[in-house]
Amino acid sequence: MFSSSQFDAPSAFSGGGFMPSQAHPSQPASSTPSKSRDSQGLIPVTVKQISESYQSGDEKSNFVINGVDVTNVTVVGMLFDRRARSFNDIRFHLDDGTGRLECVRWVTENFETRQMDEIEEGKYVRVNGHLQSFQGKRQLAAFSVRPVTNFDEVTFHYIECIHFHLHNAKLRSQGGTLTQAQVTESSTNTPLHSTSNGCQTPSFNNFTMDVSTDGLKGFDNLVLNYLQQPSNIEREMGVHLEEIARQLKAPIEKIKDAIEILEKEGLVYSSIDDYHYKAVEGC
Amino acid sequence: MDTSDPAAFVNGGLLHMHVGQKVRAVIQVIRSDVGSVVGKSTDDIQIIVKGSPPIPRTNYIEVIGVAVNDNSIRAEIWTNFGDTFDAYNYDQLCQLANGWFKHLFL
Repeated sequence: MFSSSQFDAPSAFSGGGFMPSQAHPSQPASSTPSKSRDSQGLIPVTVKQISESYQSGDEKSNFVINGVDVTNVTVVGMLFDRRARSFNDIRFHLDDGTGRLECVRWVTENFETRQMDEIEEGKYVRVNGHLQSFQGKRQLAAFSVRPVTNFDEVTFHYIECIHFHLHNAKLRSQGGTLTQAQVTESSTNTPLHSTSNGCQTPSFNNFTMDVSTDGLKGFDNLVLNYLQQPSNIEREMGVHLEEIARQLKAPIEKIKDAIEILEKEGLVYSSIDDYHYKAVEGC
Repeated sequence: MDTSDPAAFVNGGLLHMHVGQKVRAVIQVIRSDVGSVVGKSTDDIQIIVKGSPPIPRTNYIEVIGVAVNDNSIRAEIWTNFGDTFDAYNYDQLCQLANGWFKHLFL
């Protein structure tokens, strides 16, 4: 009932939005979309995941979350600060407990206006939309805003986010440095049983590789080697953690651990923000 | 976009990890007092929630607020979550969101 079906979304406007080109959802998008949406469904994400995503190219390119190109997402949270910038441009913030995301809803059809009229401030809603970057800010161009009536949907959404994240980590590791058994173990067993003492900090020691002679583990060397490639040395902004994860087909947590070690050794440094790193030259 | 003020998923047993921080929990009201309620969290632990629940209220209520100590929350937002709600699922989510998958949330 709540599942995000394989919804081939109509092409929404890109950039600032002069022409709201929202197609009626029962009609397939007739024009060729500028971005590939063939196999995309609606990806369940948290606002935190959106904030940590990066774009694969310029402002018009796809976002990358967990190593996957993402266009259309589904988010569940509370709606706040609803305001109408014009008669057909309605904006609001969606707060899902992990962050606040600016959303824009263009209403051109009656059903869209009716849908937005039903939405109350401070209530839980499910928003389906298309991630965009506009003037450097992330926002969601919503094509569906629906009130939540059964609150198991809230629990379900977050579980779905976890599932998607884990599914991608598993896919990435299948061709990579992790054994299938190790990833299956983490994905099928919840290592935390319902105890009243809270939970333990997870450790990723399962995934360590052979220790090389210079004291750096094999995987850390892989990350370092990637950053030391001349093409990456040249990149002024550095390389985003997600990109390293994608290239090395490893989970982002593993990359973060490696970066921490490399940073301590003075071999890499963070460049434009905490997610971009460069190798120190001349090492 | 702003991720500076997240609310951690908690049950009674996890509340101690977030004292002084913004948290969210689903409770069933056991008893109402003036200015606070005693609720049962999704892991069957009694916690005190300061503030006034909505009227009318349903069996399950989500509270979002600040964890005052390891067994009470000062609620800012109350949301009726209905009379039927899968508390076990929510509890499992709390465990996951504070453990292996914390980085997706906080």
